[in-house]
Amino acid sequence: MDNITRYAAINTKIKTMEGSLLKNQDYIKLLEKDSVASIYEYLKEHTAYSEILSDVDPEKLHRGTLEAVLKQNMIYNIDKIIHFYSGEYKRFITTFYAKYEIDELKKIARAIFNKEDLQKYKNSVFIGKYSGIDTNKLFDAKQISDIIYSFEGSEFYNYLIPLVDNNIEENLFRFEMILDLSYYTMLKRQWAKLSKQDIKVLEHAQGLIADLLNLQWIYRGIKFYKMQPEVLLNYTIHLWHRLNYGTIKKLCYCPSLEEFFKLAQQTKYSFLFKNDGTTDIFMERRLDRHIYFELKNMVRTYGMSIITTFAYILFLEFEVRDIIAIIEAIRYKLPANEASKYMIRTIREEA
Amino acid sequence: MAVEKMKIISIVGKRDDLDKVSRLVVLNGNVHMLNALSEINANYFELEASEDHIQAMQELSDIKPYINRKDFSKYEEILKAFHKIFDINPSVNSKYLSSEYDYEKLFEEIAQKYDTVREICEGIDKKLAYINKLQEYIDNISYLKHTGLDIRQLMSLEYMDFQLIMLSKENFLKLKLNYENIPSAVFQVYAAEDNSIVAAFTPKSIKEDTERIFESLNYKSLELPLEYKGIAEEITGQLSKEIEREKQEIAGMKASAADYKKSYSSEVIRAYSLLELEKKVEHVKSEVAIGQQLFFLFGFVPVGKLDEISNTIRQNSDKDIIIITEEVEKRRAGHAPPTKLKNNRLFKPFELLISMYGTPSYNEADPTPFFALSYMLLFGAMFGDIGQGLVILLGGLFIKYKLRSSDFGGIISRLGVSSMFFGLLYGSIFGNEHIIHGLWIKPMDNINSVLISAIILGVVLINIGYMFSLSNLYQRRDFEEGVFGREGIVGYLFFWTLLLTVLSKATDAIVFPMPLAFTLLGLLLMIMVFKQPLANKIKGHKVLYEEPPGDYYIEAGFGIIETLLSILSNVISFIRVGAFALNHVGLYIAFATMAKMVGSAVGGFVVLVIGNIVIIGLEGLIVFIQSLRLEYYELFSKYYTGYGIPYKPARVDGERS
Repeated sequence: MDNITRYAAINTKIKTMEGSLLKNQDYIKLLEKDSVASIYEYLKEHTAYSEILSDVDPEKLHRGTLEAVLKQNMIYNIDKIIHFYSGEYKRFITTFYAKYEIDELKKIARAIFNKEDLQKYKNSVFIGKYSGIDTNKLFDAKQISDIIYSFEGSEFYNYLIPLVDNNIEENLFRFEMILDLSYYTMLKRQWAKLSKQDIKVLEHAQGLIADLLNLQWIYRGIKFYKMQPEVLLNYTIHLWHRLNYGTIKKLCYCPSLEEFFKLAQQTKYSFLFKNDGTTDIFMERRLDRHIYFELKNMVRTYGMSIITTFAYILFLEFEVRDIIAIIEAIRYKLPANEASKYMIRTIREEA
Repeated sequence: MAVEKMKIISIVGKRDDLDKVSRLVVLNGNVHMLNALSEINANYFELEASEDHIQAMQELSDIKPYINRKDFSKYEEILKAFHKIFDINPSVNSKYLSSEYDYEKLFEEIAQKYDTVREICEGIDKKLAYINKLQEYIDNISYLKHTGLDIRQLMSLEYMDFQLIMLSKENFLKLKLNYENIPSAVFQVYAAEDNSIVAAFTPKSIKEDTERIFESLNYKSLELPLEYKGIAEEITGQLSKEIEREKQEIAGMKASAADYKKSYSSEVIRAYSLLELEKKVEHVKSEVAIGQQLFFLFGFVPVGKLDEISNTIRQNSDKDIIIITEEVEKRRAGHAPPTKLKNNRLFKPFELLISMYGTPSYNEADPTPFFALSYMLLFGAMFGDIGQGLVILLGGLFIKYKLRSSDFGGIISRLGVSSMFFGLLYGSIFGNEHIIHGLWIKPMDNINSVLISAIILGVVLINIGYMFSLSNLYQRRDFEEGVFGREGIVGYLFFWTLLLTVLSKATDAIVFPMPLAFTLLGLLLMIMVFKQPLANKIKGHKVLYEEPPGDYYIEAGFGIIETLLSILSNVISFIRVGAFALNHVGLYIAFATMAKMVGSAVGGFVVLVIGNIVIIGLEGLIVFIQSLRLEYYELFSKYYTGYGIPYKPARVDGERS
């Protein structure tokens, strides 16, 4: 099947689904709200969330439930797209669930490691969505190794089992790193089965994301963790777009933070590192915003490819994260123009 | 020969009796459970206001689901261990099932008995674990075959540390790209599909650094045995011998449990049977609602079993228990009743093919008898041969009795009989049409009449389909579809008008004035287009359309095209019945000609045998599928929805069918 026949229907579907994403106007309205309840009210009255929010009891509403509903909506939409695919493509789209499941799983693992109460993680909607595990066993876990055993039979298990096998003591850091990196392995193994054009587009898009994440990782590794360069290098994602392996390696072997900055300034991503003390606060947002706009460009350039689906799913994710950012700003009582700085998209004030 | 009638049974009793009543329900095995809470909410469960019901009525206002689920895992473990050391298969024996037993006491006893054999069980488990470990050594050491290295020597070098590790393909690549900075000598000894097995030599003084690097590559260390001398091949031999020894010891331990087996095994089977019962009881209880002192239980029961179950429950429980039976038709909302099909032995196997399409709804006519008869008819007509039919019959019996697939085997053997019957009509034995005279017709000599008969058969079957559809629509009291719909009265009239029009055009058999015909067809089509507003007008509803009128008419417009197309295509579709009857003969003629070309009598015979095998295997399959297609597409689409819920009573599996 060539890409035109494959994507004619899917892209049309995605175009209509994009129509129900929040508009600029919606974000402006949301930024004006001053409580979670009024955000809920707005989303329910004026946006595509109305259907899924109508089941939520406004009496029992709080941040956690709203977040879970927003994520439930992601699943609802991604599932819709999955129905348009078959075979290896279908399996590829489901690997996105692995990404979100890993995100939630890391949070739960941290809570278990710190012996926190797990009640508020019980509505983690992505858990089991990719791995298909029995969530009861996961929530019964008392330590990291219990978590790993609860994944027995799933793909994650194969990646995690060396952690138990080597009988090393509980190590949250390694648990998180293994999951993060195994996601890229799973992704690459699965996309190798797609068409050539799609592999090219994915290598471009995912390579760009990997560039940014690698830079962030190396920066943090040198600044905060003071890590052995070999280890630092081993934990990078092996996907490249504008930074090749040589550059990444050089960055890892930088003896000091100053050297790192000097090298990083020469890359295309120098915008991540500003000399005004905002580097740490805004790094994540700068990185996401860059991905957001680059993806918009890519959709325009490579319309008839997997990129429309790829970008749509990320846009959905960004929408959820922006709404959460707005809710968080309410908690810290940030004014609207300040709050919008923490959002991934840029909000244009229209007259 | 129909869908069995159901009634709803409601049981209200003391909570002390819940266990016993649930057990009786499972043992009786005829109750399809309903969730009590949703039932009470949806149907406003009403009790006659009488003295007996006062308490129940009070408690109805405050009911909760039954929670308190039992955990069976501990006893399951114990029984599993028993089954393992006694070498018996877990099975339910119905003679041990009863409602009179004390669950706690029973399993306390079993647990005590387990204590006497615990040592043996644990000993066996330990040995099995040890065998696994040895097997792992064998697997790991196999990577070092053909190296000629002494493993123990390798492991006990003075300054160097030897490690065998497993890395994912991707992570090995990372290691390779950074060789120059890795403080140990590494090389790949084996590459599997996703993983690489790597041998690593590291100076002992910097082992910690390397360890950290390997950790960041998520390595898995492959353990090697230290106790054995020699190269890999020799050690593997020693390990295999050790495994043999351990296995023999396990057998010995099992033999020592033989005495226990004699005295315990009936008890183990009893406990297993009762545990299975108890699991089902828990399932029943999970659908029950409880109040302060009472429980509420609801389920569907086939009418014929109703007395039996209410009597047993009444006899075995508190005299205050309330048992109410209710007609299914009175229900306002909630779950539709489940469907239990009741068919005689001739038709029963065909339920398999029906349920592949969907279970009939409760208020739908059971299509099985018509399906079974027409399916046998279609198959036989397409594949009529006494000899080949006999082979299919024998094959069907083999599947039924030897492979124990009674439904599928039953279908095949019935098809075989039908094929033999038509073989008699066509006069064909293993393709040969000269041995006996056909009672009816030789397909190849009367091509036109065969094809025309096929169409006539199709018209007859479609007519019966319409009858079913009309009856179903009447059952559902669906006025709109039943009178004006495509499968209703108007649609049926349209079907016949169209048929007669075509007939009078094509033959002189009947005269049907064309202007009249077209006026009639147009009129009937228009009625079908306006069916919804018409029906609502007649019923006196204010709202004429259930959706925007624009949408409605677009759909109705396409509906017309589909009606026209499907009537024609459905009828013509049945030509295939005749075509395959011809095809069947044609295929044989091809093989017969080949047999003649071979020349020798033996060779010719061999070709004919091969030909018959091909015809039975290949054509048999095709005809099987084609008949199914005619049933599902041409006929089911007329009258069958298949939205029903299969009847699944709570009962212990494997106890009775």
